Amino acid sequence: MQSHTTRPEDGSVCPPPGAAPEERQGLTRRNLLATLGVAATGSALAMVSYQDDAQAAITPKAATAPEHAWCMVIDLRNCDGCKICTISCQSRHNLREEQTWIKVYDMPDSTGGKFSMPRPCMMCEDPPCMYVCPVGATERTDTGLVLVDTDACVGSRACMAACPYEARYFNWTEPPKSKRMPMPNTPEMPVAKLGTVGKCVLCADRLPHGELPACVEGCPMGVLYIGDLVTDIAVNGLGKTVALTEFLKNNDAVRFKEEHGTNPRVYYILGHGQNLGGTA
Amino acid sequence: MTTAAREASLRPFGKPSRTWWLAIIALSGVVLTGIAAWVIQLRSGMGVAGYNDHAFWAIYIADVITFIGVSYGGAVVSAILRLTGATWRAPLTRLAEGTAVVTVLIGSALIIPHIGNPALLWELLARPNLSAPVFWDFVAVMTYTFASIVFFALPLVPDMAVLHKGHAKRLGKPRATLYATVSKGWVGAPRQRRVLAGALGLVSIMIIPLAVSVHSVLAWAFATTSRPWWHESIWAPQFVVAALYSGVALVILVVAGFRRGYHLEGLIHERHFIRLGFILATFSAGYLYFTFADLIPGAYVGDPSTAAVFQKLLTGDLALYFWMFAVFGGLLPLLLVAIPRTRNTKGMVTAAIFVVPMMWLKRILMVTAPGAYDTVTGAFGAYHFTWIPIAITVAATAAIPLLLMVLFRVVPLLSIDEIEEIDEMEEMEGLEKSVAAHPRTEPSEPASHDEKLVGATSRSHRAAGATGVLLLVALLSMLGVSAAAPAKAATSPSAPAITLTGAEAGGAVQLTAKLISPNGLPRDKANVAFQLLTKEFGAQGHLVPIGSATSDTTGVATLTYQPTVTGKHEFFVTTTAAAGAKATGSGTTVEVTVAKSAYHPAPAKPLAGVGKVLVGVLFTIVASIWLTLGAQVVRVRRVTRGVQQTTISSA
Repeated sequence: MQSHTTRPEDGSVCPPPGAAPEERQGLTRRNLLATLGVAATGSALAMVSYQDDAQAAITPKAATAPEHAWCMVIDLRNCDGCKICTISCQSRHNLREEQTWIKVYDMPDSTGGKFSMPRPCMMCEDPPCMYVCPVGATERTDTGLVLVDTDACVGSRACMAACPYEARYFNWTEPPKSKRMPMPNTPEMPVAKLGTVGKCVLCADRLPHGELPACVEGCPMGVLYIGDLVTDIAVNGLGKTVALTEFLKNNDAVRFKEEHGTNPRVYYILGHGQNLGGTA
Repeated sequence: MTTAAREASLRPFGKPSRTWWLAIIALSGVVLTGIAAWVIQLRSGMGVAGYNDHAFWAIYIADVITFIGVSYGGAVVSAILRLTGATWRAPLTRLAEGTAVVTVLIGSALIIPHIGNPALLWELLARPNLSAPVFWDFVAVMTYTFASIVFFALPLVPDMAVLHKGHAKRLGKPRATLYATVSKGWVGAPRQRRVLAGALGLVSIMIIPLAVSVHSVLAWAFATTSRPWWHESIWAPQFVVAALYSGVALVILVVAGFRRGYHLEGLIHERHFIRLGFILATFSAGYLYFTFADLIPGAYVGDPSTAAVFQKLLTGDLALYFWMFAVFGGLLPLLLVAIPRTRNTKGMVTAAIFVVPMMWLKRILMVTAPGAYDTVTGAFGAYHFTWIPIAITVAATAAIPLLLMVLFRVVPLLSIDEIEEIDEMEEMEGLEKSVAAHPRTEPSEPASHDEKLVGATSRSHRAAGATGVLLLVALLSMLGVSAAAPAKAATSPSAPAITLTGAEAGGAVQLTAKLISPNGLPRDKANVAFQLLTKEFGAQGHLVPIGSATSDTTGVATLTYQPTVTGKHEFFVTTTAAAGAKATGSGTTVEVTVAKSAYHPAPAKPLAGVGKVLVGVLFTIVASIWLTLGAQVVRVRRVTRGVQQTTISSA
C-alpha cells in the first residue's frame, strides 16, 4: 500500500533537486553539531561555576585557622548510665522521649557485663551525612559543628542511612507543640518540624557565649567534657578543667568507629575493658 | 499482514467497549484510593506509613526501584532487538516502549511519597549538593525519562502519517488533528527514512548505557552508605540485571494483556512469547547468579554486621520471603522456559506473573533488612506495613494498565511502519510468506549485556583485628592511668612563698616560678603546678593545668607554654607543701602576640580532589546527552518538513 502511494513520488521528485536538499541537510547537520558542541561547552562552564558553591560547602574550612574547633570528651570510667544528659538535652530542646540527641547505650563489655556509653552527634570532620544530603541541608560550620537547616531539609533520609553512629532520627509524626515561647528555627537551635531530620547540635547556640551544652552541664558524674581543639582546653560540668591533648594522650582516648574515616570529634576514655569497636 | 497491523492499530480507536470502561473505572478507583492515602500521609507524617527510625527507607524506595526497573526492560529490550536486527520485534516495540515511558513516569512519581517534605523537591534543582548520590539519581532518572520519551515518540511519526493518510475518518477529530501535526510532511521519502533510522539507531545505542547508569546510580545511593549489605560492590550491576529481568516480565504481561484485549493474535504469536521467555530466562539465570554472588563473600567472611543481616535473611525471620523469591522468582520462571511442555504463551505469562511481584519482594528485603539493623547496638528494628503504603503501591500498579489503556487510545498500538518495513524486507528477501507458520530458530538471546560487572569483592572489616587493637589500647590506658598517679607532694612541712613571672620569647611563653622558704632560703625539690585561666567556657573562669615542674637548688621552676591564641593570658602557679597543708600560689599576666593553634586537621583523603573534576565531566556528559537527544527530534522534524517543501515546490 505504502509503496504505491509514496515510492513513485520519491522516484520522480527527489533525485533531480535531490542534490540540493542533501547538501543542505549535510550543512544543517554540521551546524547542528557545531551548535551542540558550543552548547555543551557553555553548559559545562556554567556548571563549573555552579558546582563551586557546592564544592565549597563540602570542603572542610579548617584550612583557614578556625577560632574554635569544638569537640567532646566522654570519660566512660565515671559514667553510671543515669541518663541525666539525655533528659537535660530533651528538656532544653523540647524533644520527645524517643528523640535522643545524646543517647545512653547499654553496651556489652568483653567480660559479658555491660557498660553505659553516651553517644552524642560525633561532629565528624568528614561527615558522611553531609556528603549524601541531596539538597545540602546539612552543613559544617567553621568551628566544626555539623548542623541541619530544617527549613531546607527535603526529608530524603539519606543522612540517616549514611551516619555510622545512628545519631539522626526523623520527625515521622507531627511534633508536639512547645509550651514555651516560640523560637525562630535556626540550624543552631532547631525547632522540630514534620518530615525533617533531627540530631544533636552540641548546643551550638550556647558555645559562643561560653556556656556549656545542656548535657555537659547536666552530667552529675563529670563524664562529659566540652572541649576546644584550638585552645587545647576541655571542661566538664563539675568545673574540672584539663589540657585537652595531654588529657586524651594520658588516658589513651579513642574515637568511635575510627575505621570509617569520618574523623569524629568525640573522644572516648575507656576504663573497664570496653570494646568500642562498634558493629559496622 | 500490512493491513492487519493498520486494522489492529485502529481497533482501540473505535467506540470503547463496556469492559474497557469498567476497567478504566475500576483502575481509576484504585489510583484515587492511593492518592487519598498519600494525602493522609502528607497531613499526618510518614509515621502512618509504618516508617520509623529503624525503617527509614522502606516500601516506597523499593517501589521506586521496582517501577523504574521494569521500565528498562521495555526500553532496553526494544533497543537491543532493534540494534541486533531481530525482525520479530516489530509487533512488540510500541507496547514495550510505551510501557517503558509509563512505568518510568510512575516510578519517578513514587519518589514523592518517599520524601518527607515533598514541597521542597524543587531544591534538587535550586540548591543541589553535587556530592550526593541521590542528586545524581535524580539527574540520571530525568535523563533516562527524556531518552525513553524520545525513543517512544520518534517512530510515531511514520505511523501517524500512514493512519492519517489512509484512515483519517476512523481516527476521529482530536486524533486526526494530533496525527496531522506530528506527521506533517512525512511522505516516507528515502531520505526521511534514512534520517529516522539514523536517529532511532543513535537513540537505541544511547538508551542502553543510560538505563545501565540509572539503576547503577540508584544502587549507589545505597552502596555509598556504610550499612551492611547495602555497601557491596556488586549492587550496581545486580540492580541493572534485576531491572532488565523484571522489565522483560512486565513486557510479557503487557503484550499478553493487549493481545487478549484487542485480539492481536494475528500479529503477536506464541513464538513472540517464547522468544521473550528466552530473554527472561537469560536474565533469570543472571539474576540468580548475582543474588548469590552478592551474599556468599559477606556470609563467608562473617563481619558481624553483614553476618547478622545475612543470618536474618537466609535462616532468620526473613528466610521464608527470601527463599520464596529464590524459588518462585528465580527458579520457577527458569524451569517454565526450560521445560518444553510449559514453553508456551501460558507458561511464559505464568513465569512473568511470578517474576514481577517476587522481584518487588526481593527489593523490599534488600531495603528493609539492612535499614533495620542498628549499627551501634547490632539489634534489629522492623518495618510494619500499614494500609497507606499498600494502597499507594497498589495504586501505582493499577496506574500502569490505566495509563497504557489511555495512551493507546491516543497513539497507535503497533509500530505499523516498522511492521510494514520488515514485511516488505522479508518479502523481498524471498523468505516464507507467513512467518507465523514456520517459526525460525534464530538465536533468541539479545546481545549479551556488556555491562555485567562481576565484582564480588566484599569489603572485609577486619573486626577481629580492630577488637584486638582496641583491647590493647584499653590495656595500655589502664597502665597509663596507674602510671599517672598524682605526683608526690613536697614533703616540707611549711609552705614556701612563691612568685611567678612570665615573658613571651620565641613564640612561646616562658614561665618562671621562684620559691622561697619561710627561712628565706630558695626552696628546692618542690613540685610546682602551672595553670592558665580560661574564660572560654564561662565568665567565672576555669584553671587549665598546663604542666608542672620541680624547683632546682636556686628555688626556680620553669615551664615553657605554647600559647594557642593571642591576647592577654593569666597564668597561675601553685605548690603544696605537706599533704594537707594549704597550697600557696601566685599569678602573672602575659600579653601573647604569637600563638599557634593546637588543632591539627586530619589529612585530606587520597581521592578528595577527584570529585571536582568528576562533577565537571559528569555535567558535560549529561548536557551532551540531552542535547544529542534533542537534536534527534529536531533532525527528524526537519527532514519531515524539508521533504514536504520540496514536494510541494516541485509539484
